[in-house]
Amino acid sequence: MKLKEIIEKLSLVTLTNVEDKEVSGVFISDMLSDVMSSAETGNIWLTVQTHKNVVSAANLIDIAAVIVTNGKEVPEGTVELANRFHVNILSSPLSSFQLASKLVEAGLK
Amino acid sequence: MKEETCSHTWEMVNVQSGYIVTENCFRCNKTATSFSAGEWPPMEEYREGEHFWNIMEVAQTIRFDLTCKACGKLVPLNELAGLMMCTGCDPKCPVDTLMKEMEKSRIWVFVAFGFFPVDERTQLSQEKIAILEEYFNQRRKSSSSTIRIVSSEKIDDISRCFAEMIRDVGMLSLTPPATE
Repeated sequence: MKLKEIIEKLSLVTLTNVEDKEVSGVFISDMLSDVMSSAETGNIWLTVQTHKNVVSAANLIDIAAVIVTNGKEVPEGTVELANRFHVNILSSPLSSFQLASKLVEAGLK
Repeated sequence: MKEETCSHTWEMVNVQSGYIVTENCFRCNKTATSFSAGEWPPMEEYREGEHFWNIMEVAQTIRFDLTCKACGKLVPLNELAGLMMCTGCDPKCPVDTLMKEMEKSRIWVFVAFGFFPVDERTQLSQEKIAILEEYFNQRRKSSSSTIRIVSSEKIDDISRCFAEMIRDVGMLSLTPPATE
């Protein structure tokens, strides 16, 4: 499934320029070390973390998109860095659990 | 398969959760970093010979090794303190220059750090850095970009570097200590 299709289906807010990518699954964690060890390229990453290092971890694994849940505000510096390194950052007012349910309903596993 | 002829397919093994601890000696102002694998992070100051170590920062992190799925070669990475993505904070820094050159080809530059003090700890060899780079690029096989990992020795002036290592800072305050 393509990222832009998911954005549309789930009415996700785009905080950066969006580069469409194939989505391979979902990874949920608020720990960057978890992402480094267990996330897979093409995963959508649900987190409440918003600091700049999210961009570094997402870039290391080539995450399809970071979705910041609970409507948390993302600092401008993080958005700027993400745009520069082509990391897609999206936002949702839903909790990680609620959003994960919707991603499953949309066809992701 | 023989190790010498193997083209190596790396996987992460021996993943150990723990803490990266940064300490400072108030007597000589030396800074040291170490990995602590205990259940709880070290919090107290202590004396070690001439040094009086005080905790400056504790962050959660992982330690891991790499092994080849085909030939079984094991690459211990005990010397790796962490990885940092170059964000281009110092135009005079050779890593910044490299990053700007490579960015056009969608190659992202990461820096591998060993533990401090650099002159007292064994640092990651170039061979291990190359294997680490190969591992992360193999993991990104479906990606349209690649990564390049360089040694922290390439940083011009570490005190002017504003990028941060990938580690979980501030997570400890989110978890209250277990009650008995």
